[in-house]
Amino acid sequence: MKLIPPYRYLRPKNLQEAVEQLGRYGEEAKILAGGTDLIPMIRDCLITPKTMIDISFLDELRYIREEGDMIKIGALATHSEILKSPLINGKTGVLAKAEKVLGATQIRNRGTIGGNLCNASPAADTAPPLMVLNAKLKAISVEGERIIPIEEFFTGPRKNALKPNEILVEVQVSPEPEKSGSSFIKLGRRRALTLSVVSTAALIVMDGVKCRDARIALGAVAPTPVRAKETEKLLINKELNGEVISSAAEKVVEEINPITDVRGSAEYRREMSKVLTKRCLLEALESVKR
Amino acid sequence: MGYLEELLVKEGLSLVGKRVSRPDALDKVLGRPLFTADKLTRGMLWAKIVRSKYPHAIIKRIDKGKALGVPGVLTVLTAEDIPGENQIGYAIPDQPLLAMDKVRFVGEPVAVVVAENEEAAEKGAELVEIEYESLPAVFDPLEALKPVAPRIHESGNIATTTIIRKGDVEKGFREADVIVENTYKTQRQEHAYLETETVIAVPEINKVTILACMQSPWLIRRMVAKVLGYKQSKVRVIELPAGGAFGGKDDMIPMIAPIAALAAVKTGKPVFLMFKRDETFEASNKRHPSIIRYKSGATKDGKLVAVEIEIIYETGAYANRGPFVLWRATAHAAGPYEVPNVKVDGKLVYTNRVFSGSFRGFGDPQIHFAAESQMDELAAKLGMDPVEFRLKNILKPGLTTTCGQVVDQSVGVEEALRKLAEKINWEKRKREIEEYNRESKRKLKGIGVACAYHGISTSRGAPDWSAAAVIINEDGTITYKGGICRLGQGSLIGHAKIVAEILGVPLSYIQIEGPDTDAIPEARPTHGSRGLMTGGTAAADAASKLRRNIVRVASEMLECKTEDIEIKDALIYVKPDPSRNIPFSEAAKELYVRGYETAAYGFYRAPKRFFDPKTGLGVAYGVYVYIVNIAEVEVDTWTGQVKVERVHTAADVGKAIDPDLIEQQFHGAIAQGLGLTLTEDIVFSDGKILNNNYTDYVIPTVKDRVEVPTVVLVEQPYKGAAFGAKGVAEAALIPTPPAITNAIRHATGIRFKELPVTPEKVYFALKKRRGEKS
Amino acid sequence: MNETGNLKIKFTLNGKPIEYMVKPNWTLLDLLRKELSVLSPKEGCSRGDCGACTVLLNGKPVNSCLVLAPQIDGKEIVTVEGLIEDKEFKALKETFIEKGAVQCGFCTPGIIVSAVALLREKGNPTVQDIEEALEGNLCRCTGYIRIIEAVKQAAEKLQKTS
Ligand SMILES: Cc1cc2nc3c(=O)[nH]c(=O)nc-3n(C[C@H](O)[C@H](O)[C@H](O)COP(=O)(O)OP(=O)(O)OC[C@H]3O[C@@H](n4cnc5c(N)ncnc54)[C@H](O)[C@@H]3O)c2cc1C
Ligand code: FES
Ligand code: FES
Repeated sequence: MKLIPPYRYLRPKNLQEAVEQLGRYGEEAKILAGGTDLIPMIRDCLITPKTMIDISFLDELRYIREEGDMIKIGALATHSEILKSPLINGKTGVLAKAEKVLGATQIRNRGTIGGNLCNASPAADTAPPLMVLNAKLKAISVEGERIIPIEEFFTGPRKNALKPNEILVEVQVSPEPEKSGSSFIKLGRRRALTLSVVSTAALIVMDGVKCRDARIALGAVAPTPVRAKETEKLLINKELNGEVISSAAEKVVEEINPITDVRGSAEYRREMSKVLTKRCLLEALESVKR
Repeated sequence: MGYLEELLVKEGLSLVGKRVSRPDALDKVLGRPLFTADKLTRGMLWAKIVRSKYPHAIIKRIDKGKALGVPGVLTVLTAEDIPGENQIGYAIPDQPLLAMDKVRFVGEPVAVVVAENEEAAEKGAELVEIEYESLPAVFDPLEALKPVAPRIHESGNIATTTIIRKGDVEKGFREADVIVENTYKTQRQEHAYLETETVIAVPEINKVTILACMQSPWLIRRMVAKVLGYKQSKVRVIELPAGGAFGGKDDMIPMIAPIAALAAVKTGKPVFLMFKRDETFEASNKRHPSIIRYKSGATKDGKLVAVEIEIIYETGAYANRGPFVLWRATAHAAGPYEVPNVKVDGKLVYTNRVFSGSFRGFGDPQIHFAAESQMDELAAKLGMDPVEFRLKNILKPGLTTTCGQVVDQSVGVEEALRKLAEKINWEKRKREIEEYNRESKRKLKGIGVACAYHGISTSRGAPDWSAAAVIINEDGTITYKGGICRLGQGSLIGHAKIVAEILGVPLSYIQIEGPDTDAIPEARPTHGSRGLMTGGTAAADAASKLRRNIVRVASEMLECKTEDIEIKDALIYVKPDPSRNIPFSEAAKELYVRGYETAAYGFYRAPKRFFDPKTGLGVAYGVYVYIVNIAEVEVDTWTGQVKVERVHTAADVGKAIDPDLIEQQFHGAIAQGLGLTLTEDIVFSDGKILNNNYTDYVIPTVKDRVEVPTVVLVEQPYKGAAFGAKGVAEAALIPTPPAITNAIRHATGIRFKELPVTPEKVYFALKKRRGEKS
Repeated sequence: MNETGNLKIKFTLNGKPIEYMVKPNWTLLDLLRKELSVLSPKEGCSRGDCGACTVLLNGKPVNSCLVLAPQIDGKEIVTVEGLIEDKEFKALKETFIEKGAVQCGFCTPGIIVSAVALLREKGNPTVQDIEEALEGNLCRCTGYIRIIEAVKQAAEKLQKTS
């Protein structure tokens, strides 16, 4: 673990300036938001940015609001802000559930949703819930704006679809639909302040006893967070009960590709993907009934 | 009557045995600068250690040139710069301060860069060029024992061996109706104190002063003197409060203070040396990993007849305390029971991994994990209740330990076990849990018991003593200079209570000072749970001497007989007529005026212990602390996660000088035992530690805490110590792992023989058994 | 910013306005401990894992080892040194001492800072609230039992007096 080496520090006054600065310094620059991923990575010598563009002062990127049928979360919204937001708790409970078990209070007070996504850890805890919410990510560069569906955002461990000159500015999600239920379950190595060994988010939309839509996403079991579409298919248009859910959950192992590391073995991750998917779906179903 | 006997029968105690709030807590809550890193000042140089990147290699060449070219770097020191001996081995002279010709683990110190600031020191350390020739390395103790294994030390890969030969095990096993044999393994545990190892060395003319968090001031003095080629009087060691130590700082500070001292002496400036968190993980001592083959036999009416045990403790690259740790484990190998026939063979084995060493429990947690697992397996085979089976064999006064030592006093383990089982209603609780499990699908509960004993103080019959000093100041306040270090355990608070009790003053009169080698004679280290017992007895000796002077001066002042003097709450009065009295402060002043001695040193000398190296039999320890834990767990069969719901504990502490301080020690020890049992493990790849941080080395958080709802203190006094008190700092950790795994066994029917019991292991064991059943 | 890359920042530290020339690569913890001799925040890991360096940034507990010095420009920093007269702190001080929630004390300032933030936000916290507030603060000595009790009792004390 090393001291943080010197770097050029830039503090844009507004988003426009940030975009310009990133346009200028591109590859050699890093965006600095909460720093909770960046600083440990620099100390571990995994990256050595020459320039840091500190966007943490850009309050224009710190918001959570509803616009039309969309909930829009600014990239700089912290995990604590999201966790405490009545809007998020009321309309996208699956995200709130993940925020509750992300890091610890100090980390949630600093870490941002933008940083969590851009850091693109396979274990990023906001990723599975945002995937089942079909989130769209808005990025800006000197060339303009674009919307990236979250499914296309993660391209590998710690790799994302942003171009070197792009800043993520907003996360857009639709509220969980009527007659839907959702859940998020995280399996860590202890009861708090722990990175996911496996995490699962599920959202199901019901039509009477029938499942109209099902979305499942998992974290820490592949090079990126993943959607389990084949598993979802086994649920859609079915009458949901314990048996259907159990047998569908078995399928999930075919959609993941876990590794063995200090946090857990691939074998255990495979097993837990099934267990968590099942539990998560059952909880989601349970929450529809209420 | 000697002062110890007097104290044992002393009545109307006002402090000893009572709960007091800790006098050190205020400064800590206020975050006042107490710790070594808080004493860093501008102008101090920074030392940075350059460490081996190889697990096993020959050093071909060291080039300091580039490092010396870094602005701010003052010097780069290597083995050749050491004026005295380049040797810091504790039990065996096998460990250099700075590697000379060979490195034996990743993280071993090779050079030290001294610079004006941290940045330059770090930069310089990166630029010291070391050319290595890699050697084949060995990471597994069983591999290391093979004749073809690479030789880590010239003497071979076995650092030392131990034995016990008591009775005749073959005959014992012939008498046995049931025999259980298993192999147990435990892992490498990191102390993970929040404050990393930190040292300041200040040079003076022909002298050097060390300020640091520590456990062994006089050992540090000896090591610094040896490395510098100084006489001991030319090294002063001043202890600062530690941010946790747990044995780690017992070994580590004597190994790094000489580096800081060398840097200070070479540059003529004060030097600051602080480990980063990853250095602590990679280069500090760990709890010895163990492989223990354990065979036990009992008769059908539940009497243990024989145990045969093979112990392998992995010491890593250097022996360090290993010979003592292994010896302790060997002497305790049969658990707190009488077993007539015992055969133990211990081996301490080198590997190319970071060295092992002192850690709360000092070898006893590993051996008790095996011994207490065996007890439950035997009980199961006999169809007996685990508590009942233990009680049939438990040590009582007059019985003999593993190494044939007759325990004659303060043997309260039977009382502790009976009381605890009764208090928590063991039988009933067990039945309730079994009923719950019959209904429950996902979660299974279990309850398990384990007993332990732990000899107080040093192992291998090494001599032991302690010292302390008390000064009565002219205004009646008292300065207590302890020889025991402040690790957070509050030992010196216990001493101060003893001093205050004896002198008849409130605790607030006592100013507590930590060790300073220039102020008091050697008091030996703060380890082996000896702090309160040995240090407190030395304190009592000093205080008793001064009490005699106070009593004499007061009797002169009050014109009465010395026997009639009583002191309470800082008031000295004549017993038959309390209206004739003087304040303590006046008597204190008179001591000075009339030329009495106003300060005293106190000493403690341990009873002689001895052992026969041919059989391992003898008197291993002066006295033992005994402890019983009962754990209740819940196993999530879906994920394999184990939740330890509560641990109940009972101990024979001799005499509780402060029941609250004892309880605090139990809480902390159980929490560390929890980590040892369930999550903590150092993971390597090619000799390099992968989880060198708190992210991936998993210790309990507040949400993982274990409730300790029942604490039973048994007080069977030990006549060899002040007020009969024994040490407790390590005790509650020792039976925690087996109590938990015994509870898991009760919940699931599965015996886990390897620590840590991770969710993965539990999950797959459950899955395997489901497969076997269906 | 000047040519050396250093920059002047303004912030309040424990209520006092401060202007200071900082290097961008200093952390807030470095700035507090090495430059300003504010020593209650401790360095335990330098990577957000232990919470020993916890301070209040605009009233919220954060790990000062994960905040870069220039990031506190215009912000309000509070450490234990600045809480001494605070009623939540006073209550915690008493109960931490009474309950024996302190052993080595290295984690204590960070824990107290987290607990102060909790008590300011929730007058009557549940055990879960306390756990959540302290989950980012490791303690290797106490097993946390007394710490939970002390925070709970401090909350009760404050309830009574208010
Ligand atoms: C002790 C600890 C515990 C943690 N626990 C968890 C956990 O349980 N679960 C979890 O998911 N994470 C955890 N994390 C990781 C981290 O806190 C989160 O990922 C956090 O959300 C990162 O946000 P940040 O603002 O701090 O990002 P930063 O560190 O500032 O940035 C992270 C990366 O994203 C880039 N970036 C940030 N914002 C933008 C943007 N708007 N546009 C483009 N690029 C950007 C940065 O350049 C950098 O590469 C933990 C971290 C620590 C230190
Ligand atoms: S030092 Fe900042 S969290 Fe450990
Ligand atoms: S009291 Fe020592 S770490 Fe908490």
